[in-house]
Amino acid sequence: MTQTVPGRHRAAAIARKVAGHVVRGLVMIWAVATISFVIIREIPGNPVLGQYESLIQKGMSPEQAERATAVLYGFLPTGNLWQQYVGYLGSLLHFDLGRSLSTPGVEVTTLIGHAARWTVLPVLAGTLLSFLLGVTMGVYAAIKRSGRLGDALALSGSLLHGVPVYVIGLLLTAIFATLWPIMPSGGPVDVEFVPGLNPGYIGSLVHHAVLPVVTYTLASYGGWILAMKSNVVAVLGDDFILAAELRGLRRGIVFRYLARNAILPLFTILALSIGMLFGGSIFIEQIFNYPGLGLLLVNSISSRDYALMGGTFLVITVGIVVANIVADLLYTVIDPRVRSGGAA
Amino acid sequence: MTAHTATPHAAARDMEAPGVRIRDLTVVYKTPAGELPAVRGVDLTLAPGTITGVVGESGSGKSTLALSLLNAVQPPGRIAAGSVEIDGLGDVLTLRGEDLRRARGREVGYVFQAAQNSLNPLKTIGKQLLDLGRSHDVEDPRALVRDARDLLARMGMDGARVLDSYQHELSGGMRQRVGIMLALVLNAKVVVLDEPTTALDMITQATILRIIREVHEERALTTLVITHDVGAVAEVADDLAVMYGGRVVEHGPVTEVLGDARHPYTRGLIRAIPRLTGDLSLARALPGRPPTLGTLPAQGCVFRERCERRMDICETDDPAAVTHDGRTVACHATGRPLELVGREELV
Ligand SMILES: Nc1ncnc2c1ncn2[C@@H]1O[C@H](COP(=O)(O)OP(=O)(O)OP(=O)(O)O)[C@@H](O)[C@H]1O
Ligand SMILES: [Mg+2]
Repeated sequence: MTQTVPGRHRAAAIARKVAGHVVRGLVMIWAVATISFVIIREIPGNPVLGQYESLIQKGMSPEQAERATAVLYGFLPTGNLWQQYVGYLGSLLHFDLGRSLSTPGVEVTTLIGHAARWTVLPVLAGTLLSFLLGVTMGVYAAIKRSGRLGDALALSGSLLHGVPVYVIGLLLTAIFATLWPIMPSGGPVDVEFVPGLNPGYIGSLVHHAVLPVVTYTLASYGGWILAMKSNVVAVLGDDFILAAELRGLRRGIVFRYLARNAILPLFTILALSIGMLFGGSIFIEQIFNYPGLGLLLVNSISSRDYALMGGTFLVITVGIVVANIVADLLYTVIDPRVRSGGAA
Repeated sequence: MTAHTATPHAAARDMEAPGVRIRDLTVVYKTPAGELPAVRGVDLTLAPGTITGVVGESGSGKSTLALSLLNAVQPPGRIAAGSVEIDGLGDVLTLRGEDLRRARGREVGYVFQAAQNSLNPLKTIGKQLLDLGRSHDVEDPRALVRDARDLLARMGMDGARVLDSYQHELSGGMRQRVGIMLALVLNAKVVVLDEPTTALDMITQATILRIIREVHEERALTTLVITHDVGAVAEVADDLAVMYGGRVVEHGPVTEVLGDARHPYTRGLIRAIPRLTGDLSLARALPGRPPTLGTLPAQGCVFRERCERRMDICETDDPAAVTHDGRTVACHATGRPLELVGREELV
């Protein structure tokens, strides 16, 4: 008999896959780090050297100025390119991204840490919501595809898919914060509440998060419903669904066969979608004045806070890399054809 | 269930295999040129406890006929007329919803033509077997698994291992045998096999057909086997139905139909097989092509374009199927009992 041996190789195959992803991810992070190093150093007016010189002008000794600048950017302002580069990578390895200029003296990692929660949680919530909603509606649109409701659902998907995320955000604020003000117009939370686990504070947090999360949800909902609809239609035409019906399988079971087979390919675009939402956070957080990574990046650019800019960029890259690995692992766990070593 | 009996037919009748009566069945497919019949006015009786073979060229309507037995013709197809009576079940074509679902699999086992693709790629065979059991309220899943393993072992496979496998870990032939197992494992009394052995080599093919025959006899089934292989069907079937252009043109006991074919199409089909005529030089391909839905003549005999016995009446009148001495033939030239008397001279 010519079966491949399942089971035993699965763990090894998964481990190999993860290792491959980690290596690729590290290369990508390294590339982004290098690019941000080059930008910081080579941008017209060389901010590092500029900082160093302005400190000297303010009356610092060259050694003091050099150290102060190194703290800011993670590498010495003088010395040759190679030494600076090695110094920069070395401090990265210690998770030292330098210090912020615009918020003087605060470490970039601290700022990013504070900002990250305002981006990661809404993005994940939006992804989850749009995935669930889009998949459910996609199945519905596929099954009712010859009816008016199916058409309407598919149309809603196409329309939303084509609308840029900032337009969705602006429309939502215009409607729910201006025309019909039931939602706060911006900010993460009302200032009158004491931070902590009290109902007032948490309620206010949720209230402020609604519009951003809804925006993230609507931004990717269109993609999910369209992809799911076409997957379901494709699987409906597969022989094994008809065969399952001819064997008299319960409708619920046939539906599960259908749904699982149709959802599976979506995991390959899950990472892409999360990455897109991270990118969208730049617009969405500006619209809702939400203090996340996107806003941090925009502010760092406008205040020429290069260390902060590079650091934020790097962290967003890491986020996308991690999302990629997680999405691919999910796919691997669910699809037996991949799980058994890619012979499919 | 009692094991083998010396006279399988007697045994089958004792345990009362169900009879199947297809009456005046017409199935149409919606095409750009309107609704066209893939099966037209078919009468076919499957005697209880027999295996009926169905042969005919590609596109003659065999699968469409088989799907009708489960009331499972898929859009753009539609059963336009007729009835399919199965003993103990009634007219399948009137079954709806849960009644229909329960009949499928439990009362009528079906091996899909594309049996290699009849499995869910994301679940092991064993889990799909349990889904089947659950769908039909099988009380003892362990007995079900045991039966499945036995059936797989009889078909030459390591049952436990196959049940633990995913579809992609099995070869095309193995998948086909899994499909056969799933059609038999619930003890359905009527079994329909649509080209069950196409992905198998000649030797395995013969083995599988023999096993189908064995199981058929042990369990007193009524079985319909569709195949392109007239030689193979001769060894396994009791009766043979020949389809052409959506019509059953000849039907009768397999030895008689093959040994003394009456319809010109059946004769052409047999002449095209060297194995049956015994002499390679005598094997002669049937001239012309089988009709497709679009090229079926609107009136007259469907076979007349390729027929060596064509007469004027064949252009205008569709020959009715006439039954005589247990043999059914639909042909103006050779089908009528009166003419059968002088048939030797006509040949
Ligand atoms: N979904 C469909 N839409 C339109 N026409 C169809 C469809 N399915 C089958 N047909 C037509 O119906 C006729 C009978 O098809 P069917 O599949 O029953 O033939 P068959 O005898 O099983 O052929 P094969 O030996 O190739 O399996 C053919 O002419 C075919 O083109
Ligand atoms: Mg067929």
